[in-house]
Amino acid sequence: MKIVVAGKGGVGKTTVSGTLARALARTGHEVLALDADTNPMLGVSLGVGPEQTDLLVAVRQGLETGETEHERSTEGFVERFGRDAPDGVRLVVASRIEQANPGCMCCGVSPEGLLNELESDGKIIIGDLEAGIGTVLRLQEGQADVVVIVAQPTAKSLNVARRAVEMAADKSALTIVVANRVRDESDLAVIREAVGDDCEMVIVPDDAAIARADREGRAAIDVDPDSPGVRAIVGLADRLAAMAVPA
Amino acid sequence: MDATSRAPRLAVVGKGGAGKSVVAATLARLLARRGHRVLALDSDTLPGLSLSLGADVPDEPPLNAAAEQNEQGRWHLKRGIGPVRAVQRFSTEAPDGVRVLQIGKTDRRGLQPVRPSHNAFFQIIHRIDDAPSLRDWVILGDLPAGARQTAFNWAPYAQRFLLVVEPTWQSMLTARRIARIARTMREDADFSLVVNKVTAEDDAERVQEFLDIPLTAVVPADEGVRSAERAGVALLDHAPDSPVVDAIERLADTLDVASMQRS
Repeated sequence: MKIVVAGKGGVGKTTVSGTLARALARTGHEVLALDADTNPMLGVSLGVGPEQTDLLVAVRQGLETGETEHERSTEGFVERFGRDAPDGVRLVVASRIEQANPGCMCCGVSPEGLLNELESDGKIIIGDLEAGIGTVLRLQEGQADVVVIVAQPTAKSLNVARRAVEMAADKSALTIVVANRVRDESDLAVIREAVGDDCEMVIVPDDAAIARADREGRAAIDVDPDSPGVRAIVGLADRLAAMAVPA
Repeated sequence: MDATSRAPRLAVVGKGGAGKSVVAATLARLLARRGHRVLALDSDTLPGLSLSLGADVPDEPPLNAAAEQNEQGRWHLKRGIGPVRAVQRFSTEAPDGVRVLQIGKTDRRGLQPVRPSHNAFFQIIHRIDDAPSLRDWVILGDLPAGARQTAFNWAPYAQRFLLVVEPTWQSMLTARRIARIARTMREDADFSLVVNKVTAEDDAERVQEFLDIPLTAVVPADEGVRSAERAGVALLDHAPDSPVVDAIERLADTLDVASMQRS
């Protein structure tokens, strides 16, 4: 099963992706977490540690610097450049912008390309996309089984979420909106109004433990697995785990 | 004003959600209220800056009319259009007299409808330093999230990069990477740090120590911003008494006042 996570910058995509990956791994599934953001931070939310995350070699840059002989299969990239994260999650960074004039990011190994090529083959792949709607637009039709769109109750985030929901309809069978940082009924109402009534929605309450995890550079599921926000994301993981082919 | 002095030219950069647009928009309007001519450069295809300025978002990118394609299919500025004409003809007005030049917003067709303006915008910003009549304009660019545009030279005008950073690891790591890239692009540029959404006493110090960039503003986490962001309106109109406005007023104070005097 292939799951992609999208939304405006700063809405909590990476926290949702990292927590989902960890929780899915705990259900017994083999999980590959693909960081498809050219500003890759998924390692932080998986619990790899901030400085370690910053040092991870991305597939594209690894190939460019000739760190290894060219391994032509996508599975080979994952094997060569992946690293283990807690709970047995395998983490792969697709591409990182780390220098001036990095060359066309769509040519060669691109985050979307890797995401499109990887076969789930019994495992669960979670792709944490780059901020904005461009990445959703570039997904091939039918490539993802589930598109998770993270939104928070701000006009800017909802502008992105509304459009991402429209586009996701062509890309996957199931779209789930994660209503993040919800404090009250009125927060929920603005999100519901923006994305429409047809969308499945998972509510993640505003959560001090998640805020603390962001500040400390740790995985939210390690900071407090029982906090309301983490529990809501784990609930979504359980639902997705039940949809996937049993491990 | 002598021939070499110039009003400040800033690029606001940082991770998504750090508060770049709120800082850029509020700063632009406050400087305009002080009597400066302010040009906001919006190179984000998302409407963040427009919302934070309290400006309308045009349906079609105005700059589409500034570009044409040659026989090889390459886009270039139409004859007679340079930075000055572009600002005169294709910038839109935001509250307090701020002028906005924008790359244009994407819709579900993707980048294709903004391709002419995308190209026009890039060429204009690369020639903006050569325009004598824009020398006394404050130029304030709001770049999209992350390092992408910095790496592809979308802030060639910037004398100073204003890094907007939250006290979170993701935000700090992103800022460090952007600063590293920007330094190789623009060796003469300055960097200054705005620590945003501060809740703990040592937040600003922690971020400053990590990045080792001069701290110019400490902006508190604030319910006024939260509620303005929810409504999608300008902080200055929604919560003018917010401590965030105070903090950005002080940021405006720190910009080189002498160079900002109109000639």
